[in-house]
Amino acid sequence: MVNLSKRSIRFKMQNGLIITCPEHDDATAYLTFFSKEITDGAEKRSLKIKKVTKKELNICSFSKILTKLGYRLVVLNGHGSHDSVFGYKNNLIVKLGKNDRLLKERLVYARSCNAGTELGPNCMEGSKDGCFIGYDVPFIFYMDSEWTTKPHNDKVAKLFLEPSNLIPVSIIKGNSAIESHNNAKDQMLKMMNNLIKGEQKQETPFYLEALWNNYQGQVIYGNAESKL
Amino acid sequence: MKEESEINDEIKKLVIARIDARMPPNIKISIGGGGSLSKEEMIEHVRKGDEKGKQIIKMHMNFIKAVTSGEFIKEINKV
Repeated sequence: MVNLSKRSIRFKMQNGLIITCPEHDDATAYLTFFSKEITDGAEKRSLKIKKVTKKELNICSFSKILTKLGYRLVVLNGHGSHDSVFGYKNNLIVKLGKNDRLLKERLVYARSCNAGTELGPNCMEGSKDGCFIGYDVPFIFYMDSEWTTKPHNDKVAKLFLEPSNLIPVSIIKGNSAIESHNNAKDQMLKMMNNLIKGEQKQETPFYLEALWNNYQGQVIYGNAESKL
Repeated sequence: MKEESEINDEIKKLVIARIDARMPPNIKISIGGGGSLSKEEMIEHVRKGDEKGKQIIKMHMNFIKAVTSGEFIKEINKV
């Protein structure tokens, strides 16, 4: 593996989307399924789209893709840790000190646990026009197992994944990173309000807890005024 | 240390009782790697006090703190 951390990464940025789509368990399958709203939005705006799946979701292949394609928007779906994001079958795709510099001048959204604690702030250190939005807590969502084969009917998962989609969707629509970050947070507040004012189910408090976790833990680093 | 351990055990019992009483069997949680967890798996992680169990407890406690401090109401009234 070539260490790209100290190389000077120079390529022309383009208005495109790189999105990772791991599907090796039900959680990552949901993230991938709900990403259709993001890719549909990108298609409407005629953005170039690179969906990164299965065999390409390892650090070597993913680094090559990032090096070859200077697409500005990068959406990372998958499990994460304080310094890494993982791909298919939890292979590393981004690691602090290995290939994080490839993200530096991009708009990055990591729908991953904890990557906002160290990876996010460090990969944007010294960045002029890049921005990282992610979570400094575990990204949590609930799902209804009755709908795992038809996630589009899963109203429980929608509570969590639609607000998170709003980050890249807002960026694609031309909003700045900070506007997109705030739009998603406002949407989470609306979801929580709706849960409180709507029909009280016995499980409602669990959804509020998880939404509050994601709301509080959503962080932004880099140039918050960046746009596509 | 003993006191802290006892408190943790009390919190664990509380969280487990809550999940057991209120969580419908069809609802699963995605938290961290390794796919989603069923109600029984959630309870088991909390009981063992492993990383996922701690995360579940932390989520629960953070929410209670936010509600009792008024922070939660303050935030949701923004929209």
